[in-house]
Amino acid sequence: MDKILKDKKAIFIFIAPALIMFILILVIPIFQMVYYSLCDYAALTPPEFIGLANYKKLFFKDATFRIALKNSIFFMLFSAVTQQVIGILLAVFLTNIPKGRNVFKNIYYLPSVLSSAALGLLWAFMFNPKIGINQLLAQFGIKGPLWLMDSKGFIVLPMWVIAFVALWQYVGQNMMLYMAQITGISKDIYEASYVDGASKPAAFRYITLPLIKPMMVTSLSLNCIGSLKFFDLVYNMTQGGPNHRTEVLATELYAEGFNYFKYGYASAISVVLLVMCLIVTLLVKKVIKVETYES
Amino acid sequence: MKFKKLISVTLTAAMATGLFAAVPVQADGPEEITWMFWDDLEATEDLVSKGYKEVLDRYNETYDGQYHVTAITTNLEEYDGKLNALVAAGQTPDMFICNPGPNMDVYVNAGVAADLTDILTNQEADWYSSFTDGIFERMTYDGKIMAVPTNFAAALCFYNTEIFDAAGVEVPTTYTELLDACQKIKDAGYTPISCSAGTAWCLSMVAGYLCDRQGVDLAAIADHTANWTDDNCIEAGKKLKELSQYFQETAAGDSNDQATANFYNGEAAILIQGSWAIAQINGNNPDFESKCGVFQFPGIEGANDPNRMIVKTDNLLMSATTEHQDAVIALMKMFTDETAQKYTAEIGGKIPIVKDLEIDYDKAPAQLKYVQDILANATGTFGFYNESLASVEAGDCFDNAMVDIFLDNQTPEEAFQTVQTFYEENVWE
Repeated sequence: MDKILKDKKAIFIFIAPALIMFILILVIPIFQMVYYSLCDYAALTPPEFIGLANYKKLFFKDATFRIALKNSIFFMLFSAVTQQVIGILLAVFLTNIPKGRNVFKNIYYLPSVLSSAALGLLWAFMFNPKIGINQLLAQFGIKGPLWLMDSKGFIVLPMWVIAFVALWQYVGQNMMLYMAQITGISKDIYEASYVDGASKPAAFRYITLPLIKPMMVTSLSLNCIGSLKFFDLVYNMTQGGPNHRTEVLATELYAEGFNYFKYGYASAISVVLLVMCLIVTLLVKKVIKVETYES
Repeated sequence: MKFKKLISVTLTAAMATGLFAAVPVQADGPEEITWMFWDDLEATEDLVSKGYKEVLDRYNETYDGQYHVTAITTNLEEYDGKLNALVAAGQTPDMFICNPGPNMDVYVNAGVAADLTDILTNQEADWYSSFTDGIFERMTYDGKIMAVPTNFAAALCFYNTEIFDAAGVEVPTTYTELLDACQKIKDAGYTPISCSAGTAWCLSMVAGYLCDRQGVDLAAIADHTANWTDDNCIEAGKKLKELSQYFQETAAGDSNDQATANFYNGEAAILIQGSWAIAQINGNNPDFESKCGVFQFPGIEGANDPNRMIVKTDNLLMSATTEHQDAVIALMKMFTDETAQKYTAEIGGKIPIVKDLEIDYDKAPAQLKYVQDILANATGTFGFYNESLASVEAGDCFDNAMVDIFLDNQTPEEAFQTVQTFYEENVWE
């Protein structure tokens, strides 16, 4: 093995397939996307360079994009806070219960392995005023709201509904990541702290939290990026409606690219999305300081 | 070492063989063509869609061993997106269905659709002469015929005669009478109108009628001798808001199919919809046919001509890149032959697009006769507003503005100002 690792030619040959694939399916398309975002490009006609016109229109004239941007940021913040907090609490709770850990772990994790498209349709039925939750509420004399149709407010009710469904679907994934990290913390550290008189909340605050920080960076980054480019639940539950009020960046990108054939404009939205993902990842890494502890 | 070499050479050869095996080889057999359509032909209850399925089956049977068609189907809401994705990927179906107006403009201007002029006027002159006069008008671009219609529909008001009787209301002929009728129906405990704002063009169709009745001239707007902020537009917007108080509670999110189902399930008294809904209504609830009446969208007193009708055709486009032109033309001809057209009228309840077709009205849905009687008195026609504006985006902008009026997110003045601004920035400039 050492011999191979010293041979530069061999290293190159081993890396080449992955590198070529990486360049072909990621690097080149990203550069193409950036170029197309500066073009008037309708997919069927050759791209025509128009400078920053797509970006000017995007930020200063496109009201739907502003709604999509607002909803995506809301969705990211909501998901980041709720999924992380509840994910950690569930992980701590499940690692500390003596019995039934696996049962609950599977119950909480199950929604994240199911198809988002199917779940989107399922929840759309659940929130349908004629057949779902409202019918149940009506049994108790309560008139339920139009869950997926209301269009009032800065963040409309359907957007909250989608965010809660996403929380239900993905919280198990975060819980699993944190459980893996917490399980890896040596029991000796906790026992030593209890001998020194630490309470359970104090042990959580001063032992668990600092030691799961590396996972927090990973989980939060994945969470934020996933939320920013979120598409399936929105598309299957509301299709961006009523009247674009639940549009997010990914659904807006899809509409511009495939409904209007505006590939140049859709590429500009992709670039914004890409930049936002990069900024969020950097911020997460910057804000959460990960200390290294000697074992 | 030799053994290892042998294994690696054998494996490499196997992989290479596998690769070549994956390359499709044109086998002897029928010419395969694809047709893209906006309904699931296997699951649909829509009688017109079932008629299309019958045409495909008949085609595959008639041309067994020569041609074969496979349908690519999707639901209506996702149709444009999926078709565009196929076109962009260089996999345009050999034939596809398309709405007239800006939707068709996109495919014609991009060179995706084939020019059918020579085929129709020279090679297949008899077929061409069988079509109703003037039917190709909206499919003709700079003198080139780019599509073939399959049927013709008009937008009308369908009503539940039982609810009308129970509420003691007569068929309204004016907008004021329509409001009175809706109020009485509401007072009698029924939902007056079922309309979809979730599928924006449904609401926009009502708005289109109100605009036309108010005298909005789309041609004048197109050449900027009139504005979207003119009084007649604003007045139409106010009337839309006024009328929408009689829509079902869930109109904001109901899709077109849900709104139509509300009507044929007896939950609402009136459905303002294209006559293609006859096939959907009768297909899903055959018992409803006997209690389904039809009236034209009422006129507004003292305003524009009340006898103008919104009409449209379903159209077939041939891909400009198809290598199976004869097979596609044979299929187009089958969609417009006597058998298919008689089905269109007598079972689907839509209006045929060929001349000299004898329709047995005893067999046909009762609503078809009502529609044809109304059309006989029509003094003019116009297209769906979202299909008659400058572009698909302009149509969507209008649709969204109308939905905003309905949702109370914008006043009629604000909503039409949005459309005006869109035209100033994208159309008139």
